[in-house]
Amino acid sequence: MIAAALLVPFIVGLALLFLRKRVSGRTAASLGAAAMAASLVLFALVWDGRDEIGGEIDESWIEPLGARLHVGVTVVSWPFLLMTAFIALLCCVWLIAEDTAPALVGLVLIISASALGVFASLDLLLFFVFFELALIPMWFVIAWWGDPHDPVGRRVAATRFLLFTVTGSALLLVGIVLVASRTGSLSIFQTESASLVAAVLIVLGFAVKTPLVPLHTWLPDAHSKAPTVGSVLLAAVFLKLGTYGLIMLGALMLPREFVDVAPYVAGAGVVGIVWSALACYAQDDLKRMIAYSSIGHMGFVALAISTMTDIGLAAAVFGSIAHGLVTGLLFFLSGSLKDRFGTASMRAIGRGLYARTPWLAVAFVFAAVASLGLPGLAGFWGELLSLRAAYEVGVLDQPYAWTALGLAVLGVALTTAYFLRAIRLLAQGEPVSHEGDRDLAVREAVVGGALALAIVVLGLAPGLIVGLYDVPATLNGQSGTTYDGTYGPVER
Amino acid sequence: MNIPVDWSVVGPSVIVAVGALVALLVDAFYPRRTWLGSGLPASAALVWAGFELFRLHDEIVPFTFALTLIVLAGTLVVVVASNVMNFENAMPPGEYHFLLLSAAAGAAMMVAARDLVTLVIALELLSLPSIALVGLRQGDSRAIRSAWTFFLASVVSTAITLMGISLLYGAAGTLDYAGLAAGLGDTELPDGVVAVAVVLTIVGLLFKLGAVPFHVWIPDTYLGAPVMVAGFLSSVSKAASLGAVLTLLLVALPTAYDTWSPLLLLVAAVTMTVGNLGALRQTNAVAMLAWSSVAQAGFLIAPVAVVTRSGPDAPVQYLAVYVLANLVAFAALAVVLRLRGSTEYSELRGLARTDPPTGVPLVMAMLTLAGFPPAVIGLVTKYVVIRPVVEADHVWLAVVMAVNVMLGLAYYLRFIAALVDRPAIDDPYRSPSPPVSIRISKAAVLIGTAGLVALSAWPDLLLSNLP
Repeated sequence: MIAAALLVPFIVGLALLFLRKRVSGRTAASLGAAAMAASLVLFALVWDGRDEIGGEIDESWIEPLGARLHVGVTVVSWPFLLMTAFIALLCCVWLIAEDTAPALVGLVLIISASALGVFASLDLLLFFVFFELALIPMWFVIAWWGDPHDPVGRRVAATRFLLFTVTGSALLLVGIVLVASRTGSLSIFQTESASLVAAVLIVLGFAVKTPLVPLHTWLPDAHSKAPTVGSVLLAAVFLKLGTYGLIMLGALMLPREFVDVAPYVAGAGVVGIVWSALACYAQDDLKRMIAYSSIGHMGFVALAISTMTDIGLAAAVFGSIAHGLVTGLLFFLSGSLKDRFGTASMRAIGRGLYARTPWLAVAFVFAAVASLGLPGLAGFWGELLSLRAAYEVGVLDQPYAWTALGLAVLGVALTTAYFLRAIRLLAQGEPVSHEGDRDLAVREAVVGGALALAIVVLGLAPGLIVGLYDVPATLNGQSGTTYDGTYGPVER
Repeated sequence: MNIPVDWSVVGPSVIVAVGALVALLVDAFYPRRTWLGSGLPASAALVWAGFELFRLHDEIVPFTFALTLIVLAGTLVVVVASNVMNFENAMPPGEYHFLLLSAAAGAAMMVAARDLVTLVIALELLSLPSIALVGLRQGDSRAIRSAWTFFLASVVSTAITLMGISLLYGAAGTLDYAGLAAGLGDTELPDGVVAVAVVLTIVGLLFKLGAVPFHVWIPDTYLGAPVMVAGFLSSVSKAASLGAVLTLLLVALPTAYDTWSPLLLLVAAVTMTVGNLGALRQTNAVAMLAWSSVAQAGFLIAPVAVVTRSGPDAPVQYLAVYVLANLVAFAALAVVLRLRGSTEYSELRGLARTDPPTGVPLVMAMLTLAGFPPAVIGLVTKYVVIRPVVEADHVWLAVVMAVNVMLGLAYYLRFIAALVDRPAIDDPYRSPSPPVSIRISKAAVLIGTAGLVALSAWPDLLLSNLP
């Protein structure tokens, strides 16, 4: 079943690339949506309880290296898999339009399927193959279908994105080799210690992807030059490859070494929260602003991971999923705005969208307040749990963790400030009508509605994800348990 | 001095040498000047040598077997793909095949050599015909100049190697690899002499391999030579040099590990970096491949630098994939050059769309050289060469390799992007029925690509069986 869930989008994606001249954009996108829907359902069904590996496949692959075709769904990867398939499905729905290039749908499917492969891999080399597989298609998505007004800029942005991530992933490869040569196993469930150098290399590799300051410089350009679906996939899925990697290959796989790296991860995360919030306040381009805001959200996730507590793990997973949904929605809507006005500059779009395009304005404000962490919506829980994890201290020093906590709280306030600024600049004020004023089209409304629903559901019932990890017990007084390997079958 | 002649060592190269003579004779008696005429006996000799190699399988050391196989198979691909030069009056097929097979015989002997005299003779047998091949195109002054550069580089490198060999002989009193290993283990010997001898011997071979700082001749020679000759130099000739270094270090000089290992680690790091930086600026596919072959030599040298610790498997496996991918690329470029008269990127825009049988293989070859999925085999062999370096605790070199993977991708991707881009104009070069000779070359390209695809789908095929 899990093989089908991975292969269906791959095969449909490849078929669309080859048949790009034979199918219309609308058909291609519908086919893609059907494939991703099938994948989503299969991944939902393959779940087998949090102590089991759902749908495990373990076949021999490269005997001399000890690499295996080992995939399955774990308690950590399941939420990531469902979110990725869901976002990819919505990307395909978004593309159901006449002027869609079928090849773009094909690439979106291949990128999404590669990300699904990363989350499902239980073998380090297989993980790495999927990790790399998504990169070149993404380069083409940005370089060919990116900002139509800036052909040179989008290519530069795409290449910078690729070279940064490839440097990171090459370091990751060295780290994987080091782990394998120390422990003799390429399984993601390592039982022995590797070495501090391995942990440093692996964390550095994922830090580029997440991204952690100061390795984030590729992100604003790539996100703002990419086409709408590219931005959505970058923010909702690609950054999650980084956080998932930090959780799974960092904190869970190499816990003894990660302890020594954790303070740096926490520091980079907190600096990112504050720094990106300040940068956001200076942005005029809406997509750039959302891109910078992602760095802040990922900072919260990094802070949560670095505590290595149970609640930190829950916060990291929840924060990643919530960011995927909320920022996905924000990028879809800013894509809508860019389609209408030809630019994402907030000044050029003008004020008073409440009056000009009411539904679009309401959706945007909803996404913005979800992103700034309004209680009752998904964004809130990721940040709150992350702050709570920092309060628990975990493996960090107490003064250090609480300083980080204080800075992160400051970041929450700054985040509110810049999102309110964006709302004021766009939604409120005296409406100045513009020829581009059109309210949400059906496909936009469907995508926006689905994401808004998911954001509300997760906001009202965070237990859907948090319940997977023993956090309620932690919250009821048994505070600060360091991660002890009780989640999923890590002890194999 | 009594050097025993062992058929299991010289067998394949003798058969190839006989093939060279037959190709020359066929051309002398049936001078129709078609490439199939002298190419068929050449191919037959290579296939026969291959059979003989398999028959002798149990008597040959596994990694020598693998290296010889790479040399023979690589030369066969070159012979088949060279059909693209049919009807090119300036290129004489008989002489071409004679020289090519002579060089291949030298290459096969070089990896089989187990004493220093055989090594030097084999080195000359590989070098001299190669020089002639580079300058073979009549009336081409660029080719003559390239041949001169190559000649000077070869002479210098052979001279340095000879110097080192004479010192080795003086120190150990024997030319036999096994004897050298025993003789150099003698602690009475002054360290300095042994170190100088070892370094000089290796430096000569590194010259041939194109390692920095001895790489300058490579771009010049490759650009002046016929494309398939450049392909031969970058694959078979490199394989022979690497095989010779590998065998020499592993069999004859294991006791001098502390002398050559740090040197080679440094050379590997510098070579891959300089090669990649050079390739970044190229806009001609052949020039890019020339620089990239310098960089790839760095990746090959890295596991060789720790070969006595981790064995010859890693460099041999990397070499096999590199040779296959490189030959696919050069063969495809030879076809392109024949049809379009240029290998500039601007000329190749959209090739994967307008001419999939040459464009798609080029994309696959570039992905393999870059080490990127869907060319999984390229990625897996990158893993394979990084592993011994890490296991020997040279993490710094592994990190340099990682950064170079990124640098490499930058220019390979630039070429790939040009290949799959929308063509600028309607392709004026497409001919409805290309001549048979070009179809044969294209077939070689496609078979090589099929090999890359099969290895990517099933990496075990290579990693479990070779060497």
